[in-house]
Amino acid sequence: MKLVKAIVRPEKVDDVVDALNNEGFPAFTKIDVVGRGKQGGIKVGEYVYDELPKTLLLIAVNDEDVAKVVDVIKENAYTGNFGDGKIFIQPIEEAYTIRTGEKGI
Amino acid sequence: MKEVMAIIRPSKVSRTVKALEAVGFPAMTAMRCYGRGKQRGYLDASLPEDVDVERILKEGEKQGLRMKYIPKRLLSVVVDDADVPLVVGIIMKVNRTGKIGDGRIFVLPVEDAVRVRTGERGVEAI
Repeated sequence: MKLVKAIVRPEKVDDVVDALNNEGFPAFTKIDVVGRGKQGGIKVGEYVYDELPKTLLLIAVNDEDVAKVVDVIKENAYTGNFGDGKIFIQPIEEAYTIRTGEKGI
Repeated sequence: MKEVMAIIRPSKVSRTVKALEAVGFPAMTAMRCYGRGKQRGYLDASLPEDVDVERILKEGEKQGLRMKYIPKRLLSVVVDDADVPLVVGIIMKVNRTGKIGDGRIFVLPVEDAVRVRTGERGVEAI
């Protein structure tokens, strides 16, 4: 299992979530975060905005589905401008459903 | 070291934290988050406990009873490898109501940890 962590534009979250749902990945967790990338934020005149609002999506998937989920996120979070976000993939060693105590996602 | 990441009901956070504290895990991070599981956010607020999940799914779909983003709390506890089953067990015990939405627990590997105040590393730092 892998945890796909995607940092995306808040206005693109609905698109990403709906697309993932249609592809058969209905489950996710969403956290509002702030951050910046390599560009060090946005400079408007003499002001620098370096805490840009973003949304962190956590999606737990089986190893073979990672590529598909990443593709769906890439496609739906894309605008072509700086600030579209990043995707990180981390290993998950165990997962449990609390309601049933079952192992696995 | 492992990170135990639990996504639980907001109303269960303080009980979970107290239970973990009681067995010697006082350190944790909590975050407000939103999410949903396999049930895609169909509501089951007024359901009895012996209910059939598949039936609810079908009925919810019909009636459109649905919340896209359900408020949850994400608890993150970093523990030594040997303590993982204990922490997972406690979180599971405190949070289980048997209804949809009890949440999920993920166990992720942590390569290193640093205590900022002292510079200690690894297990010493947690």
